[in-house]
Amino acid sequence: MGMKNKHRYQTESEIFFQKRLFRNRIYFALGFTLIFFLLLWVRMGYLQWVGYKHYHSMSEGNRISVEAITPVRGRIFDRNHILLADNQPVFVLKFSKDKIENLQDSFSLLQNLLPDLPKERLSRFLERVKVGSKYRPLYLPYTLTEIEAARFAGHSYQFPGITLVAKLKRTYPFKESAVHAIGYVGKINQKEFTQLSESKYAGTDVMGKLGVEKYYESILHGSPGLQQIETNARGRVIQKLESVPAKPGKDIQLTIDIRLQQYIEKYLDGKKAAVVVTNPKTGGILAYVSTPGYDPNLFVDGISQTKYQELLKDHNRPLINRVINGQYPPGSTIKPFVALAAIENNIISPYKKIFDPGFLEFKDHRYRDWKRQGHGLVDMNDAIEQSCDTYFYELSLKMGVDLIHDSLYPFGFGHHTKIDLYNESVGILPSKAWKRRVKGQTWYKGETIIAAIGQGYFLSTPLQLAKAISIMANRGEIIEPHLLKDKEYVKKEQIPIQNIENWEKVIKAMMDVLHSPRGTARRYGRDLPFKMAGKTGTAQVFSLNEGEYDEENIKKSLRDHSLFIGFAPVKKPKIAISVIIENSTLKAAPVAVDITKYYLSELQDEN
Amino acid sequence: MKIDLPAREKVYRKNSGILVSLHLDGWLMLGIFLLIITGSLIVFSASGADQEVLSRHLIRVGFAFILMLVFAQIPPNLLRIYTPWVFGIGTIMLISVLLFGDIGKGAKRWLDLGFFRFQPSEIMKLALPMMIAWLFAHDSLPPPNKKMLIGLGLVGLIAGLIIIQPDLGTSILIAMSGLFVLFFAGLSWRWILSAVGLVAASLPIVWNFYMYDYQKQRVLTFLDPESDPLGTGYHIIQSKIAIGSGGLEGKGFMGSTQAHLEFLPESTTDFIFSVLAEEFGLIGVTGLLLLYLFVIGRGLYIASQAQENFARLTAASLVMTLFVYVFVNIGMVSGLLPVVGLPLPLLSYGGSSLVTLMVSFGILMSIHTHKKLLTS
Repeated sequence: MGMKNKHRYQTESEIFFQKRLFRNRIYFALGFTLIFFLLLWVRMGYLQWVGYKHYHSMSEGNRISVEAITPVRGRIFDRNHILLADNQPVFVLKFSKDKIENLQDSFSLLQNLLPDLPKERLSRFLERVKVGSKYRPLYLPYTLTEIEAARFAGHSYQFPGITLVAKLKRTYPFKESAVHAIGYVGKINQKEFTQLSESKYAGTDVMGKLGVEKYYESILHGSPGLQQIETNARGRVIQKLESVPAKPGKDIQLTIDIRLQQYIEKYLDGKKAAVVVTNPKTGGILAYVSTPGYDPNLFVDGISQTKYQELLKDHNRPLINRVINGQYPPGSTIKPFVALAAIENNIISPYKKIFDPGFLEFKDHRYRDWKRQGHGLVDMNDAIEQSCDTYFYELSLKMGVDLIHDSLYPFGFGHHTKIDLYNESVGILPSKAWKRRVKGQTWYKGETIIAAIGQGYFLSTPLQLAKAISIMANRGEIIEPHLLKDKEYVKKEQIPIQNIENWEKVIKAMMDVLHSPRGTARRYGRDLPFKMAGKTGTAQVFSLNEGEYDEENIKKSLRDHSLFIGFAPVKKPKIAISVIIENSTLKAAPVAVDITKYYLSELQDEN
Repeated sequence: MKIDLPAREKVYRKNSGILVSLHLDGWLMLGIFLLIITGSLIVFSASGADQEVLSRHLIRVGFAFILMLVFAQIPPNLLRIYTPWVFGIGTIMLISVLLFGDIGKGAKRWLDLGFFRFQPSEIMKLALPMMIAWLFAHDSLPPPNKKMLIGLGLVGLIAGLIIIQPDLGTSILIAMSGLFVLFFAGLSWRWILSAVGLVAASLPIVWNFYMYDYQKQRVLTFLDPESDPLGTGYHIIQSKIAIGSGGLEGKGFMGSTQAHLEFLPESTTDFIFSVLAEEFGLIGVTGLLLLYLFVIGRGLYIASQAQENFARLTAASLVMTLFVYVFVNIGMVSGLLPVVGLPLPLLSYGGSSLVTLMVSFGILMSIHTHKKLLTS
């Protein structure tokens, strides 16, 4: 430090001066302290002596406390004003710990009176009451039946501190239907409690936890009112004085059509799948399906541990929101977007034919087409219609991964779709910069080849695919998928178009997927009363290098996923759809076609 | 016999043997004990005679007391040598809190080290004043202006780091502990007065550009408690009722209806003074103020008796920081000052601030009991 060397002896006068200075400062500090303590003392004298009568009467005579009135939560409707989330009056038990004389006795007495109370939940609640604050009332997370309520009311004198109160409880009449979009409310936990504004959540013990219920919490919640209550010295309510009413939360309307939603859910019958249906013009989501689902009503009172474990351990993973969190390789569904990028950037003429012998050889590696014997000579239209891999392998080498990245980005791949839900996954739209940033490695050309058919690093969510196909249906007008009906976007961006003919050519090829004799989905488009454009796809779950894909010998959970994206009618699109069926327990294309058929024939006119 | 050895420590004959060998100061201990006993009684009453709360409080007091004992054993010279290190580590922690801190109530204040969480600003309550005292350790007071400016810069740096957490209250309190050192080191009155003037003049600017809404709200509620009857304004109203209804003699031990009927918030922590005032009245309040005055007076005496700059500046600043905490807390609960979440030293239900406080008492005791014999 060198401090020792710098240290020099002080002169006599310095020592004297320093001593005097420090002593003076100490005296000053002492004086300062005395003055401020005197100030406090005077203040206390003012409150306790001069103000005694005033404060004494406020404290002693009667006690007026302010209690919060819980606001009524806004309801949620579907696009046709069908109720999706409602509030129902129910009876619950309120526990005021400070007035309960013997906790253990009260609880066992209660168990005897109401034998149907779930034992495990009651004992867990007892623990909560034991450690909980003396002064914050707690509600038993159990809804009493009317008979139980009547029985308790008759015996309430045995339960000081436990009162029967009517509360509004959130209910979801359609149960698991659209649960991943609507979400649910649940008990506010300790961590959330510390982050909430105390005065906004006074008197409320639930909040939106997931889905729209969480995203639009501030609209749905409303703000609490005040009730002044006069109590006697033991805390019993004598009378209610003036009150400020609570401001109820606002109702919201979703873009979802619950009939279409239920049609799809019934169709899928609990298979692992995700379907998104949008109105491509507005981006409004007509159906938001992630199956299997679960009943959100279980979560409102707090779900029991065993039930929750069951849901968590379910191999079909019902809690996963596949629409925004399922990240799948998009497979061949991205081929139309790659083809469009190539012809818009003059990489290749749409009429140029490429010969496909069934594989592409690149750097001693053989990239196989799904059709072993090859497609022969194919142009762009054939390549999309028949989903020829080799054509796109060749194309990708001409384009390079960064052009693919830059052209697909505006369609919504690799970033947030801006849907009005939290925790959306963004998938991966690979590029050289991405690989350097995330993996710290340089890009290999071989990786471009498989990226062009939506494999390799490429990942997208069903929602991203729905957004991309909607933009294709719009001929480049960018929409933001959303669930709130009011959220119509005035200003929409447009992907710059070099030549609109190019777009129409790609869309024509997608139409041929369903309507031409060689299309990959020709079986399902044959007798349609309208024209539909689409693209099939397969997402590899299990990567098989050079080997064969033998469906019989692969475990069911490792089988490829089946994908389909599409829109209809081709000329004036009214519906866009993306379908992913995990492990191909169904083929995605007929699912999409049937949904579209149902929507256009049964529902479309009303929407 | 140690006669031949150069005598290092003054033998402290005035006090009894056990206190000397433990490096404790009898008078200070007496004050601390009385305050802690008072605090424990009020905590017990305010919690509604909850023995669990009381025993948890006592465990924390015990832990803090042991830390005080430990620090009392460390000679001031050793403390001085380690000060820059502790200060440096504390500063790094403050920065890392901003980078990876946990967010509680919208502010980044906590650092999670896996096994436990703490607020690095707690360290700074001691480290900042000690660092500035270290700076002046070998100067003749008042130190040269250049060093004063360095000290001022350190205060600004640390206060700035805490202000952006954001934690305005703590940042002001820590800045004050640093400024006290400058004051005791002999900062000229001209500087002090112009600084006070400057702060007063800049208040409108701070209000308009640098304060968060919730902070403004607190000040506004302070000026007009009725404007927020469900939030902090309600707390102040109820706290004043508690204090005022205590009258001269109070309602007696365990007689605080304001606390027991849930009108008083945080009755075992920030608002514990109101419970004491309600139960023991103006007499009790006077006694408590005298007790604090006694501890502060003894602390200032210890500072005045210290032989080196580091020791005397540290001691004086820690004592005055204690004063500020007492004043701000009592001022807050009686409606003189806006609500800042601040416990009452030695009385409130134990938390990390109790630990810091007892450590600073340990340092005071060490300063008083590790003295060199004056040979001249």
